Amino acid sequence: MPEMLLRARGVYVRFGGLVAVDRVDLEVRAGELVGVIGPNGAGKTTFFHTLSGVLAPTAGQLIVGGEDLTGHAAHEFANHGVARTFQTPRVFRDMSAEDNVRFGLEFAGRRRKHARDAFDNPAAILDLLGLGDVAAIPAGGLTPAKQRLLEIGMALGARPRVLLLDEVAAGLTHAEVDATAQLIRRVRDEAGLAVIWIEHAVRVLMNYVERVAVLHQGAKIADGDPRKVARDPAVVEAYLGEEGGGERKAA
Amino acid sequence: MTANLRYTITAVLAAGVALAFMPWLLSDFLLSLALSCLMYVALASSWSMFSGATNYLSLATSAFFGIGAYVTAWGLETLPYALAVPLGGVIAGAFAALVGAAVLHLRGAYFAVLTFGLGELVRHSITYFEKTYARTVGRVLSDPPEAVTVYLTVLLITVATVATCAAVRASRFGLALAGVGADEERAQTLGVNTRRVKIAGFALSAFFAGALGAAMAVRWTYIEPMSVFNPFIGFQTVLIAMIGGAQTLLGPVVSAVVFSLFSELLRLQFPYAYLMLLGLLLIVLVLYLPGGIGSLFRGRWARA
Repeated sequence: MPEMLLRARGVYVRFGGLVAVDRVDLEVRAGELVGVIGPNGAGKTTFFHTLSGVLAPTAGQLIVGGEDLTGHAAHEFANHGVARTFQTPRVFRDMSAEDNVRFGLEFAGRRRKHARDAFDNPAAILDLLGLGDVAAIPAGGLTPAKQRLLEIGMALGARPRVLLLDEVAAGLTHAEVDATAQLIRRVRDEAGLAVIWIEHAVRVLMNYVERVAVLHQGAKIADGDPRKVARDPAVVEAYLGEEGGGERKAA
Repeated sequence: MTANLRYTITAVLAAGVALAFMPWLLSDFLLSLALSCLMYVALASSWSMFSGATNYLSLATSAFFGIGAYVTAWGLETLPYALAVPLGGVIAGAFAALVGAAVLHLRGAYFAVLTFGLGELVRHSITYFEKTYARTVGRVLSDPPEAVTVYLTVLLITVATVATCAAVRASRFGLALAGVGADEERAQTLGVNTRRVKIAGFALSAFFAGALGAAMAVRWTYIEPMSVFNPFIGFQTVLIAMIGGAQTLLGPVVSAVVFSLFSELLRLQFPYAYLMLLGLLLIVLVLYLPGGIGSLFRGRWARA
């Protein structure tokens, strides 16, 4: 079995009286592409914040590459190989696209190599993303769609072992979503990463991932093969039903 | 070291060597004017090194400057001047690291107000300490070094400050500081230990302000908390740096020279005109050119 790269055990987050994430377990191995779906307010992004160290869980445990990082700062997660994107692109606006990618390479990615050296310089990463021609442009001047791609590039610069993608397909056209998904699979295959991909739009994800976990009201209600999960009554009830049967039929 | 950085540092050193001849060329009045320019060049540059890059607006410059000055005031009887100056820097830097560890999680207005309060706290603490234990507020420096020595010392600190700024900007450390300024949390998720970087940047910036305070202290023959912890020194530093462009290397330098000259020349005849001018310029710039005048020249010399 491939190496266990990230393990969340009983992750629990409470904001005052609100339980945002309710004892979620998730294990991800090298080479896996796992989707996380759930209706709005299901706790997906909060859960991601805990996986990347941005937010310390109220209770539970986070083990990265065999090391317990619970309660550690976000930079330690990054240095142990967890890289993420943000839902709303948070590129360094005044820096060139190339420098945005270089940033990760200079810090989290400094002492690590990608499984293959394909992405070891900013130019290679930008080319992979189709951003080669805007390398010198300040990131703030790129279109929102390109900023989303650049977010992925920044994360790849950190030479991750686990890549966390937070709604990278939101607001993209159908063709762009397709291209992004192909790209993610390619990156996963070439660099041997584990990828966890959150998406609000179910259909997008179901088509591309090999495993999907469903969050509902903070708790994980299903985890497994997308086709099986899509037929799970609890999932249909919680999410697909609410989102409309049209999507379900189409999937 | 990149070619660009080597070029910049060579230029800074060359300017330093040229300026080292000034004591023998200028009158006493002009030399004191030059000293004042150098002091603000160093203060504005060291302030920009941290606050310009990180967007943490620090008003603690007067505190660091005053601490340095007091190291000289208390130490000059037993220590040589050449030792008091770096010691002033080290103590100010250590103080900044200590305080930074406690307050650098605050941002924006909270951080600014807190750093301002810091200066007041140190000033009043020293006043209290002197009243209680030394039974006198203020000290007379009996044997101050000569004006030429002071000038050359301040020049050395200024050259070191500007060269350090250039080196920091070209380094990983500088990139980390810029990342903190652009989006601190994002920088952290890309592997930057933001807490350590901020503390180190704050302390390094304080080191230069402290050394400068220690070097300049001997110009006041009578040192008291009111004069060396003067909040105006801190305010003027911030204004100069922001007007010049705190994210550029040369902006604060040029701006410091221009405003020090203005300040000295106008202060005698029209004491209020200078402050009004400074205030007006700041308002206009914040409204129309938030990056300061230096930001106009970005990509050319400003990004050395």
